[in-house]
Amino acid sequence: MGPTDNSFLLLPFPPTASHTPEDWRREEAMSSAAGAAAQKLPRTEARTLSGHEGAVLAVRFNRDGNYCLSCGKDRTLRLWNPHTGALVKTYKSHGREVRDVYSSSDNAKLVSCGGDRQIFYWDVASGRVIRKFRGHNSEINAVKFNEFNTVVVSAGYDQTVRAFDCRSQSSDPIQTIDTFQDSVMSVNVTSTEIIAGSVDGTVRTFDIRMGRETVDNLGHPVNCISLSNDRNCLLANCLDSTVRLIDKSTGELLQEYKGHICKSFKMDCCLTNDDAFVVGGSEDGFVFFWELVDAPVVASFRAHSSVVTSVSYHPTKASMLTSSVDGTVRVWT
Amino acid sequence: MGFDDDGEQDLVVYGTPIEREEDTSARKRRAVAEAGQLRALPAWKQEVRDEEGRRRFHGAFTGGFSAGYYNTVGTKEGWTPQTFTSSRKNRTEVKKQSIYSFLDEEDIKGMGGNTLETTQQYDTFGSTATEYARKQASKEQKERPSAIPGPIPDELVVPATTSIGMKLLMKMGWHKGRSIRDAHADSLYESRREARKAFLALSGVSNDDEKLQIDSHKSGKDESVKGSFEEIHASGNTAVYVLHPKQDLHGLGFDPFKHAPEFKDRKRLQKSARDHNKSDVSMRGSLLISNSGQYAPGFGIGALEELGVEDEDIYASGFAYEHMEVDVEPSKTPSDGNYKLKDRKRGVFLSFKIASGSEYKLERFDPPEIPTDFDGRHKFLTPVQAVNNISDLAPPEVPPPEDISLRLLIEGCAAMVARCGKHIEDFYKEKSKTNPQFIFLNEGDGCSYYARKLWEYQQKYIDQQRPDAIKSKSSSDKLTAEDRGKILGEKPLDRSTKLSSSSFPANEAIQLRSNLGDTFVKPLSLDGTPEYQKPFRNDPAKQARFEQFLKDKYEGGLRPANLIPASTMSDADRARERLDFEAAAETIEKGKEKKAMDPLSLLGLAGINEQRFVSSTESEKSVPPRDENSMYPRRDEFEWRPSPILCKRFDVVDPFMGKPMPVQRPRSKMDTLIFMSDSTKKADDIVESPSIEPPHTAVAGTEAKAKGMATLPDIETSNMQRPVDLYKAIFSDDSDDDMDEPVITEPVDPVKTSEGANMVLNRLVAEDFLESLGKELGLDVPPEKPTLPNVLFRPETLPTANATVISRNGKATTCQKVEKESSLDKVEVANASADAPSGNDEKLDLKYEKHELRTKKGRLNIGWTDISSSMFIL
Repeated sequence: MGPTDNSFLLLPFPPTASHTPEDWRREEAMSSAAGAAAQKLPRTEARTLSGHEGAVLAVRFNRDGNYCLSCGKDRTLRLWNPHTGALVKTYKSHGREVRDVYSSSDNAKLVSCGGDRQIFYWDVASGRVIRKFRGHNSEINAVKFNEFNTVVVSAGYDQTVRAFDCRSQSSDPIQTIDTFQDSVMSVNVTSTEIIAGSVDGTVRTFDIRMGRETVDNLGHPVNCISLSNDRNCLLANCLDSTVRLIDKSTGELLQEYKGHICKSFKMDCCLTNDDAFVVGGSEDGFVFFWELVDAPVVASFRAHSSVVTSVSYHPTKASMLTSSVDGTVRVWT
Repeated sequence: MGFDDDGEQDLVVYGTPIEREEDTSARKRRAVAEAGQLRALPAWKQEVRDEEGRRRFHGAFTGGFSAGYYNTVGTKEGWTPQTFTSSRKNRTEVKKQSIYSFLDEEDIKGMGGNTLETTQQYDTFGSTATEYARKQASKEQKERPSAIPGPIPDELVVPATTSIGMKLLMKMGWHKGRSIRDAHADSLYESRREARKAFLALSGVSNDDEKLQIDSHKSGKDESVKGSFEEIHASGNTAVYVLHPKQDLHGLGFDPFKHAPEFKDRKRLQKSARDHNKSDVSMRGSLLISNSGQYAPGFGIGALEELGVEDEDIYASGFAYEHMEVDVEPSKTPSDGNYKLKDRKRGVFLSFKIASGSEYKLERFDPPEIPTDFDGRHKFLTPVQAVNNISDLAPPEVPPPEDISLRLLIEGCAAMVARCGKHIEDFYKEKSKTNPQFIFLNEGDGCSYYARKLWEYQQKYIDQQRPDAIKSKSSSDKLTAEDRGKILGEKPLDRSTKLSSSSFPANEAIQLRSNLGDTFVKPLSLDGTPEYQKPFRNDPAKQARFEQFLKDKYEGGLRPANLIPASTMSDADRARERLDFEAAAETIEKGKEKKAMDPLSLLGLAGINEQRFVSSTESEKSVPPRDENSMYPRRDEFEWRPSPILCKRFDVVDPFMGKPMPVQRPRSKMDTLIFMSDSTKKADDIVESPSIEPPHTAVAGTEAKAKGMATLPDIETSNMQRPVDLYKAIFSDDSDDDMDEPVITEPVDPVKTSEGANMVLNRLVAEDFLESLGKELGLDVPPEKPTLPNVLFRPETLPTANATVISRNGKATTCQKVEKESSLDKVEVANASADAPSGNDEKLDLKYEKHELRTKKGRLNIGWTDISSSMFIL
């Protein structure tokens, strides 16, 4: 009934790093075209954004990719310009670690969540908390805006997904989805759907237009889900060290990507902006690139000294952000 | 607004009336004009004027026009009101007058000056001494632990004055600015000693200690000089005896290591190790340090937050560089020691005494003596039974050997063994050493045949011996060992080993025993342990000990004592190692169960033993279940109802628009509780429109029954489930009920409109409520005189209540009869008829009774809702 040990708090220690880069370097094993594309992948470190005092748990580009947001165990959110390395602003109000942050498409508002069981709705410019949404009974793992920035959708350890109305004064959820069997780790919102992945091994798609819930059982705890840019595929990072690509319409398993380590931490994965590669972090500090179709490891390199908690790919350019437990955010070009 | 009697008040005036010009005198105008100017002037130039602008003359000697403090009272404070004290109770005390109350300071000085005053006279070193003392104090302060963290302001700790000793020193030739630990102490030694002696004699200190010290001074010059300086030094600024602040959480006098000297040992080792070499990590193979003590570095949690599991630093590297340990033994400074000793001598040292004998004694028991002839093997008293048990599993059929004589011999031997028991076999075995005929017992051809035959004979023998037992078994089909084993999922004894190995029965028994052990005890055969399960590979001796330990742990039995005294190891070492082993064994166990676990992680040794342990993760990632892949991903679809507001916010048409909300079942017990109270309350006024019949819950039905509705068997079906409003449950329950009533009672009183009735009823409800409230508060509320329509409109009560009411009125028989007869839709009619034909007086009585009952009921409701609301809170 209750959340099992499968959540990302499972192992209170990082795995031992026993791999060498050579182990995983299986480069140029694919066609020349893909190889050429692979050469453009962001692999050189442009700069390090350091300032967080403690593990950085998530890093996100904003909508246009000009800024980025990071949050971490030091209970702060930070707004950076990743292209210059400037720290624009620090947002402090959370009482516990901040697990996820997301910015509205108009860059005017932020929403963040974390261990203090509240969702903070921030004004970007003033740095003030406009509203706090309560309702979750436990830590909140992920949070997103909807398309119109009117609804905040959050996923929590209390096995629920909750939607909050930004336009009303009420801090209570307007919708609570509690069909999950275990902690919900990740949530995504499209124009008509709420998609959430849970430790119970399911990815649930709630279609508001159709009034249907689609449950895709992957059989393994789902850590993170992300959508392809054409919104047709679903990328799910599972705790069996496998990233799975699923056809959203049919629920078919299209591909599995392996090679990294993902056993105990909440770690992000995403697709590149042209949907050609899958990017994922590893618990030993590596970052992996897989070719989308055939799933070979195109590139991997050590990005951090410790667990790579989050990866975020620039919406248009070949640039990438990674964050890690070692307290840094790195910009890769 | 107010339509009052006075006609004037009809006027409404806004704003302030304009003053007539002639009303204001010229003087006043000037005063107003000057007021601003005046304020700009300095205080002493300002003149006080009244509102007419006139200056007021106070008198030539009391300030002229400006009577100090702006024409107030001549003091800055003005008239400060004083509290009145009655002189009756507090008589003014008669002051004792002394001469000093009449003398001024000069006079006192002249009289002999017995006032206290500071003087520079004794500050022999002046600024230097102060400086020195300050330095000294700060140095001391650094050394000694302090309850107040951080530097203490010097003024707090510096002794304010220097002693006469300094002055004496000066006289002895020492002058200020000079270091007290002088290099040429030698030359000064003699003179100082003399001075010191003189000083001691002078000050009359007859302390043995000091005398001794002086004596000892003679022995070694250098030392004694130093000592004497220290003495002086000590007298210079009194060494402050600081009790070590208690920084741990132990109770007073509690020794955490009292019963665990090995930890004390370890701690001391650790401390010394830390002092000597910070990088000595092996000592920190901390056994008891779990990861749970580690929290995110740098930040704590909020003051209002509780420290929970989630606050653990899950990313901690495992390198616990500086884990703080409680300082149990305070480091003693020499001066501390002196003072303590002295104090103890005097018996004032916290009234603690040194115990005459240490309370703690390490009791040691020698391992039991194992007799020399003990071979560590159990001899079975009933060999036949044992054989029976063993041979339950049949060896495979084997073709008999060609040699007929051998075959016969085998068969005969087997029969013999089967009948007589194992010892015969042993006997034969002994023989086989000399006689090659019996070689089959151990090995060679015919061995397997012998085994088979033996088994056959044994079976036969058993069958013969216990025919009745077998019969009964077949009849009642009792559980055999195999059956039970099958049920329990035990693995059958390994038959192949029997086949392959040379199965001479004595060994067989042992093997079987070990096999049995395999089935029942989880084996930890280290032969098969992979490398990562050998945690002490680097230290073969230790690994050997570890394996021995595992054997001890898992296999049990007696062992020779040779391993117990591990030669060079100390007690603490052994204890520590044992704990080590325990932890490691547990880790291996767990590692087997949960392969994903890193063995060292469980120990919390992560960083330290990294080189010893190899991560087991690689070896285990290889087996993804194949069939799962075909199973997953699985897709299911369900209906899901988004809330309308969500649809609106997503700019999507609500797919469930217009459709009714699904029937909400009471989710918690609390809901049913509310419902129950509601249902019982409504039990009597059955809803007059039975055409709509929502499903009723069984809970409600049974509850209603329990409330005494069993007399009306059909009433349950009409007991409707309604959404229950908490507010309604408290306040408007009766009005709800009564809303229904007019329809029923219309035949009785058709003149009234339902609206009018409702109005009246609402009023009544309010009255009821107020009355009940009043009763609750213990007030005597006189019952309102009811009118006839009121009675008619309130024929409802609980059926049980009805019964009691009726019985009190002496109408029990008829009414109950009517009720019993009444069917589902007739009940209310019956109720009504029970009321209607009765006389007016009776009705009134009835009404009163009911009234009370209603109030009771109302309280009941409130009670229920109280409970439910408290449950909400819970």
